[in-house]
Amino acid sequence: MPDITAIITSEVEIFLLALFGIIAMQLLTGEISTKNLLYGRKNDTGEPIVQAGVVKGRKRDDTLYFSPERVQLLIFTLGAAFYYLTQVLNNPNPGTFPPLPQSWPAVIGGSNAVFLGGKAYSRIWKRNGGLK
Amino acid sequence: MIEAIAMPSAAMLSEYLICVLISGLGIAILWMVFTGTIDLSRLITEANGDASMARFQFLVFTFVISLSLFVVIVSPKDGPKLPETIPGGILTLLGISGSSYAVGKAIQFSDPASLEERPVTVTITPAKPIVRYKETQQFHAEVTRKPDAKVHWAVIAGSGTIDEDTGLYKAPDAPATPPAPHATIQATCVDYPEASDIAVVTLT
Repeated sequence: MPDITAIITSEVEIFLLALFGIIAMQLLTGEISTKNLLYGRKNDTGEPIVQAGVVKGRKRDDTLYFSPERVQLLIFTLGAAFYYLTQVLNNPNPGTFPPLPQSWPAVIGGSNAVFLGGKAYSRIWKRNGGLK
Repeated sequence: MIEAIAMPSAAMLSEYLICVLISGLGIAILWMVFTGTIDLSRLITEANGDASMARFQFLVFTFVISLSLFVVIVSPKDGPKLPETIPGGILTLLGISGSSYAVGKAIQFSDPASLEERPVTVTITPAKPIVRYKETQQFHAEVTRKPDAKVHWAVIAGSGTIDEDTGLYKAPDAPATPPAPHATIQATCVDYPEASDIAVVTLT
């Protein structure tokens, strides 16, 4: 009888690679929507709508803007992912996770903070009309 | 003398049976994903129809960690085994990614507009072409969120004809009397009749 461990290993390997392959293919062909992945939305210009001298609300803008904070997050995410995968595949100590450089959490955390800052700026700060 | 034939034990048979069941489950999942029965088209999409960078990051990190875990488990020379420790850095990265997603959601929930699904819209290109008499102009319509949706084309004002399926406009042979140097083209999404756009042709 064939070795059951080898069978299960092959099964899981084929399943993971096939699943990731299908998802990657669908991402590249657009079947999985990546629409506006690198764009943010300005949900409000913050400009007042004045009727008869009374502020009735604030203008909605809802336009797309190209978002550098998303681009940097994409670059750091893909860079970190590829780097770590190469570390795992060339790991001199089989059976263990290769250690991450200590600066990485700070770098990825900073990148995410920039992304969230940009998102909050466009959605909250602008909606409230910015600094008074 | 009769030699004893090594018969597989019940435990071993169970192992093989489980192995077959897991394979079947895996194949079924892959097949359903491949054929679209499991619809992943909005895997990284927010409710408003825009793709989310935080979800994309989560997806990439999930890929990397699961592949890494698999490689780490199967790589020992004395057989597969779980790693004894998981570096704190990896957990921190996953935590950052998850927290970023959660905070992003909180920002989003602070504005109801970002939670609403955006309506299907149609956009015609070119929007204001200049076409010579007797010549043709091919129009294209992009339907947001429904890229495969069928579009119906019509000339709703002015002269000329248009193929209602392909959007190929044919200008009239000569100026009309009285002169009408413009034609208005309308593209309407068949499945969402309220979604339409117009283009204005200038005839020269």
